[in-house]
Amino acid sequence: MKLTMEQKKIREGLCFILPGFLYMLIILGYPLVYNVILSFKNVNVRTFASGTDVFVGLQNYQELFANATFQLVLKNTFVFTFCCLIFQFSIGFLFALLFSKKFTLAGPIRGMILVGYMMPMSVTALLGKNMFDKSSGVINDLLMKIGLVSAPVDWLLQPGTAMAAVIAMNCWVGIPFNMLLLTSGLTGISTEVLESAEVDGANAWQRFWKITVPLMKPAILAVLMLGFIYTFKAFDLMYIMTSGGPLNSTDVLGTYAYNLSFTQYEFSKGSATAMILFAILFVIGLFYLRLIAKEDE
Amino acid sequence: MKSKIFFVSAKEKRRNILYCILGVIVAVVFLFPIYWLISMSFKTDAESFGKVVTYYPHIFTVRPWQQNLEDADFLHSVRNSFAVAFLSMFLSMFFGVTAAYGMGRYKVPGHKGFLLTFLVTQMLPASLMLTPMYLIFSKMGLLNTYLGPALAISSGSIPFIVVTLRPYFKSVPVSLDDAARIDGCNVIQSCVRIMLPAIKTGIITVLVISFLNGWNDLAYSMTFNVQADMRPLTANIYRFQNKWGTKWNCIMAYGTILVLPVITLFIFLQKYIVGGLTAGAVKE
Repeated sequence: MKLTMEQKKIREGLCFILPGFLYMLIILGYPLVYNVILSFKNVNVRTFASGTDVFVGLQNYQELFANATFQLVLKNTFVFTFCCLIFQFSIGFLFALLFSKKFTLAGPIRGMILVGYMMPMSVTALLGKNMFDKSSGVINDLLMKIGLVSAPVDWLLQPGTAMAAVIAMNCWVGIPFNMLLLTSGLTGISTEVLESAEVDGANAWQRFWKITVPLMKPAILAVLMLGFIYTFKAFDLMYIMTSGGPLNSTDVLGTYAYNLSFTQYEFSKGSATAMILFAILFVIGLFYLRLIAKEDE
Repeated sequence: MKSKIFFVSAKEKRRNILYCILGVIVAVVFLFPIYWLISMSFKTDAESFGKVVTYYPHIFTVRPWQQNLEDADFLHSVRNSFAVAFLSMFLSMFFGVTAAYGMGRYKVPGHKGFLLTFLVTQMLPASLMLTPMYLIFSKMGLLNTYLGPALAISSGSIPFIVVTLRPYFKSVPVSLDDAARIDGCNVIQSCVRIMLPAIKTGIITVLVISFLNGWNDLAYSMTFNVQADMRPLTANIYRFQNKWGTKWNCIMAYGTILVLPVITLFIFLQKYIVGGLTAGAVKE
C-alpha cells in the first residue's frame, strides 16, 4: 500500500515526537503511577526488603491529616508560598517598571541580577545560613549599624525569624524571575496607547491602573501561577539552610516528604505526603494550563 | 561602550541619570550576596568567623580555596558534578530537541495531547518523584550511578526544551527546509544543517539551561547517590559543612567554586539565556 503525502508527513512527525514522549512516559509516568500505589500501601524499609507490604487503603492519608506536625507543615508551606509570592511579585513588578524604561544601564543590570536566579539553590541556602548567622552574619551587622536592632537577632534559631529568613532568601531568587517575565509583558504594551492617554490628561497613576495593569492581566496571572508552582514545591533551600527547623517551623511539604521517606524510611507515608503536594499543585496547574490555552487561540 | 540613545532634551537626560542611579542601587543590593560569597572565600579563618564583621578581606588569602582543591573528596565531587550535568544535558537535548522539532514542524493527530503532557510534566515537583524513583532504581541497580540522577533530571529538562523550542521551530519559514529538501537533503540533514543554525538563540538557551539543571540539582543526586564518592558538589554540601565546621571561608570557597560555571556561562551567553527564558516562560 502506498502512503499518501500527508500520511507520510504524519509518520515523519511522529518519528520525531514519539521518542521524547515515550521517554517521558517511562521516566515520569511509571514512577507517578507507582507513587499512587505506594501511598495506599504500608511500604517501609522492612516490608520493602521482605516484600510483605500490603494495601492499607486511606490509612496513610488519615494518619497524616491527624498528625499535628503535618498540619504545621501544611500551614508553613502555604505561609511560605504566599509571603514569597506577595514580595517577589510586587517588588519584581516595580523592578520591571524601572527596567522597561529606556536608559543606558537598563539592559546590563537587568541581565546581571538574574545570576541569583540561575545559581544553585543550595549555594543560595549556604549564603543565607551565613548571612543570617547570629554572631558572624552580615544581616545583623547591617541592621545594628542602621540602628534597627540593638542586639544581634538569632534569626535561624527562632521559629518566626527563621521563616522570615528563608522567605527573604527565596525572594532574592524570585524577584529577578518575576521581573524578567513581567518586563517582557511591559515592553509588549505599545507606547502609543500610553502617550495618547497622557495627551487625554491621564496621570501616571491612572495610566498604570487603567491601561498597564489591564493589558498585563494575562502576564500577571501567568507569573503568579508559575510563581506558586515553583515556590510551593520548595525543597533545597530549607533542606540546607534550616533543615526544616527550629521545631519544624520551616518544614514544608517537600522536606517533610523527603524526611519521611529517607530518614525514617516510611516510604508510603512519604509518597502520601508527596501526593498531597501534587494534588494542590495540580489544581493551580489546571488554571495555568487553561490560561495558556486561551492565549494560544 | 558608547551609548546609542540620542537625547533630545535636558529633561530626558536628567531622567536617564535618575533611572541609572536607581538601577545601580538595585544592582548593588542584588549582587551583594554574590560579592559576599566570593569575598568571604578569601578571608582568613579568624576573620571569617570573628565577632567583627568585615566587608572585604582585610588579610587576603587563597588558603580556603587550596584547602578545598587539595581535598580528594572535593575533586571527586567536581568530577561527579560534571558527569551528571553533561549526561543529563545529552539525554535532554536528544529527546527534547527531536520532540520540539516534531511538534513545531508537523501537524500530527493528538497534537494537543502531546503538548499538554509536556506542559504538565514541567510542573511535577522532584519531591513527588523521589520516593518511587528511589525504589525503582534500587531494584534496577541504578543507585550510585551517574545515570540515575541524569535520567531524573532530564525528565525535568525535556519539557522545558520542548516548550521553549517549539515556537522557534514554528517560526522558521517552511520554504527554507523545502529548499533544502529539493537540494537533496533528507529530513535529518535539513534539521541539522538548516534548522538548528536558524534557531541558534533557542538552542544555546536550552543547552545552557539543561546543563545548569544537572549542575544545580540537589534532591535527585543526594537521594539516589548515597555513596559519598558518587555525590556531586551540591549533594556533598552537608559533608563539607561538617568537615569545615564553622570555617565559613572554606564553605564559601566551596560555594564559589560551585557557582563559577554558572557565572562563566552567564557572562558569555547572557543575551541568549535572557531571551530564551522569556520566550519559553511567557509564550506557552
